[in-house]
Amino acid sequence: MSMNRKWYSGMLTTEDWWAVWLGLIMLFAGLTSIWGVDLVGWMAKTQTWVWGDFSWQNVLKPSGYKEWHPLLSLFVTYLVFTALTCLGAWAMKLNVKKFFLGWTIIFLITWAVWIIGHEAHFKAHTHEFEKYGITWSLSLGGGFSYMLALLVGLIIGNFFKGFAAFLSEAAKPEWFIKTAIVYLGIKIGIMTMQDSSKTMELAIAGMGATFVAYLLFWPIVYTVARKIFRLSRAAAAVLSSGISICGVSAAIATAGAIRAKPILPVMVSVLIVVFAMVELVILPGFYTYISPDQPIVNGAAMGMTVKTDGADGAAGAILDELMRANAVNQFGIVWEEGWILSAAVMTKIWIDVFLGVWAFILALVWVYNVEQKTAGHSTVPVSEIWHRFPKFVVGYFVAWFIYLGIAMFLPDMIEAAKQGANIVQSPMRKMMFMLTFVSIGIITDFSKLKGMGRLTLLYAIALFLIIAPIAYIVAWIFHHGMMPPVVG
Amino acid sequence: MKTDIDMSLVHDGHQWIVRHPTVKASGQDFSALDANLVHALRSNGQFPAGTSVNVFMGFDFDTIPTWLRQYASHYFNRYVSLEL
Repeated sequence: MSMNRKWYSGMLTTEDWWAVWLGLIMLFAGLTSIWGVDLVGWMAKTQTWVWGDFSWQNVLKPSGYKEWHPLLSLFVTYLVFTALTCLGAWAMKLNVKKFFLGWTIIFLITWAVWIIGHEAHFKAHTHEFEKYGITWSLSLGGGFSYMLALLVGLIIGNFFKGFAAFLSEAAKPEWFIKTAIVYLGIKIGIMTMQDSSKTMELAIAGMGATFVAYLLFWPIVYTVARKIFRLSRAAAAVLSSGISICGVSAAIATAGAIRAKPILPVMVSVLIVVFAMVELVILPGFYTYISPDQPIVNGAAMGMTVKTDGADGAAGAILDELMRANAVNQFGIVWEEGWILSAAVMTKIWIDVFLGVWAFILALVWVYNVEQKTAGHSTVPVSEIWHRFPKFVVGYFVAWFIYLGIAMFLPDMIEAAKQGANIVQSPMRKMMFMLTFVSIGIITDFSKLKGMGRLTLLYAIALFLIIAPIAYIVAWIFHHGMMPPVVG
Repeated sequence: MKTDIDMSLVHDGHQWIVRHPTVKASGQDFSALDANLVHALRSNGQFPAGTSVNVFMGFDFDTIPTWLRQYASHYFNRYVSLEL
């Protein structure tokens, strides 16, 4: 039985909290570089390589322990993350044996795809042709690895369903992306060290845009669902939150707030997960094509449009890679990595934070005004806000503020702190993104849309005619003119 | 919030069910659930008739499908004051 009774309920048994623990363990391991100790240098990372010139030394290398063989580095990376995730799986009462086997296969697929995606003909930018001795390239940067990982996951999820079911115990895109977002907090901390005003501007603009978008999305979609599609009040409320706020977690929070039967958010969630994949596949390329000179606007719009944290983080990562690759080719400038992704994640985090408050207000309205009077007197405790609060956000802000604190109060330690931080926020974070891409593909089964005609139509109309355009306009109002720093 | 009895709450597809080691009640909606729980508590004799009993109903999240639990970890809790 799993109930949220105390403020600390679920600290060892939910993926949300385990994202915090995985994030903070590596955060503190990385921080030891301040004292000259490298506890994260074993982490493997990929290198750009050229077809016909394959060797492990060319495709992989350790992040810190330069004398290590790349395969030893990869093996230790596997051991460390297998131990940590299996510990989490055990605490979360998952089937540990099944998780271990599934995790191992997903880990191997992830790294195989990651290495292939770093082949120069897929990844290298035009100005790198001479360096790699090539004459052509798709110039997709790291985006190719992400797209390939997604494709492989989708093929497994839709054509090898028995295998996907076997892997599903370990295919946890939300866990992986939330852990990656905690690592991204370190990246934001480093960005704050470099340009505090720009980072704070991004955070505040993201909060404002999210707040405004909230006030527009929900009532419009709810009205369409009630007046045009004639959905019940409960179904309209749950679907409106799922479409317009942040997907599955919003649908569950809203359904809980209005005391709906659990089957309702389960049905809506199936729809959301599949549509999130559609958004993830279409929007990064679309935004890059229609607005190549508005990277931060595109990132923020992505965060407000793509549902579920996993799909949003994944879409933001692809957008970051595609837009930076396009900027090199089209404008001849190199934007610093991570700013576009951060814009996408920032709006999503504010949405997640507001979600608990929104659900609490909705619960008050529902219980005291809408719900049928009962034999008892029912109250809504404020603790509901905390129980719905996304805990990984705690890890994200802890990581951010620790590095912000170092920048403000211990400026002499910045360079030493960056050594460990750069390993956690770059190769580790990207590995968690890659795991997210493979996993999100594995759990997405498009055939589940069968039999959901009316809801599917409403979702499609709301997403493409209401949410996406409004999100883009709001993102433009709050973010236009903001640009990532130029490198070099 | 201080309560007199803590119960788990689930929905079996047809009705809401609250359980405690000594008391169980069910109902199609919360109105029926609360009314049936009042009867069950009166029959149980754990609390004197005429008293007000504060009940905590914590939704058992284990009844949510496993694949969905990674997106959220809380459904809702009810705090209800019942007159026996």
